[in-house]
Amino acid sequence: MTINEPAPRIVTVRQNILKANDHTAAENRRMFEAAGVRAINLASSPGAGKTALLERTLRDLAAAVRMAVAVGDLATDNDAARLRQWGAQAEQIVTGTICHLDASMVQHVLPRFELPDLDVLFLENVGNLVCPSSYDLGEAARAVLISTTEGEDKPLKYPTMFNTADVVVITKMDIAEAVEFDLALCRENIDRARPGVPVIELSSKKGTGLEAWYSFVRGEHP
Amino acid sequence: MHEASIALSLVEVVQDVLRENGGTRVSALTVRLGQWSAVVPEALHAAFPAAAQGTPLQGAHLSIVRVPGVGECSQHGPVTLELTRGLRCPVCGAPTPRLLQGDELELDEVEIVPSILAAELSRTRPAMAEEEP
Repeated sequence: MTINEPAPRIVTVRQNILKANDHTAAENRRMFEAAGVRAINLASSPGAGKTALLERTLRDLAAAVRMAVAVGDLATDNDAARLRQWGAQAEQIVTGTICHLDASMVQHVLPRFELPDLDVLFLENVGNLVCPSSYDLGEAARAVLISTTEGEDKPLKYPTMFNTADVVVITKMDIAEAVEFDLALCRENIDRARPGVPVIELSSKKGTGLEAWYSFVRGEHP
Repeated sequence: MHEASIALSLVEVVQDVLRENGGTRVSALTVRLGQWSAVVPEALHAAFPAAAQGTPLQGAHLSIVRVPGVGECSQHGPVTLELTRGLRCPVCGAPTPRLLQGDELELDEVEIVPSILAAELSRTRPAMAEEEP
């Protein structure tokens, strides 16, 4: 005897596929706000200089701002080790095969920090201009970095990432001339991807343009 | 590419829907993907069967609806955007900072096969309603 399967019916859902991530991100955001911590999500392609900028920031602002870092990479804790040299707490999130941080990975590492003792928590994302754009981590602000050694058209190639930026940072400005970087074109492309977004030009190595970045870190700008 | 992660999240969301609606399995589902969502439909199609394996979604037919980007131009109202031009009105080139649509990453519809009990309940529910005063 066979039992006939009931006829299928269609249920209209209209729900964000990443609602679980958004839910966790909202919990993170509440934790950050309750502790008075400004969480900053840093995203860029690999090698754009996220870690170098953070090293410089940890060094320069150590006396004035209480900072820590959660850094994501597919493998190794090299970045965390680099950042710890400057006296700040840095926790590595090893993502394995996952090419982005998500809100639950961040939530998992948060108990290792004394959040109320911090002013700023940097969430250094996996180097990738695609996937991190979809995942809210609960950050207060998102900074997207582009280095002068990359193509000026990166913002047009990765519109979603740039479209979610609260600030765009152009790094390695000290070698812009040597690599024939077209600053005006890059700025135009950034503005096409995210009209009106503030842009900061700096060199972590030479220490130029950092004041604008530091006021962003402190939440004074933009 | 994060479509494998997206596919796993999709399977979880759909299983919630299935539980809420008393179904046994899913025969089809429709997802809306905005052009600005950073998710590639082909890659999601490729990742889905593996994510669905061993779940009530196994064998379900995945349809993906692509949603073009629409921005608002101060001169030309809602305009369909071209990805290569960025957030610029295709007519006059003015910036259109806000996406009216095109960032969707959304489960739209699910075709569920109800459990026999759920099917029976929905069949008898009208009769029960009539008995109420």
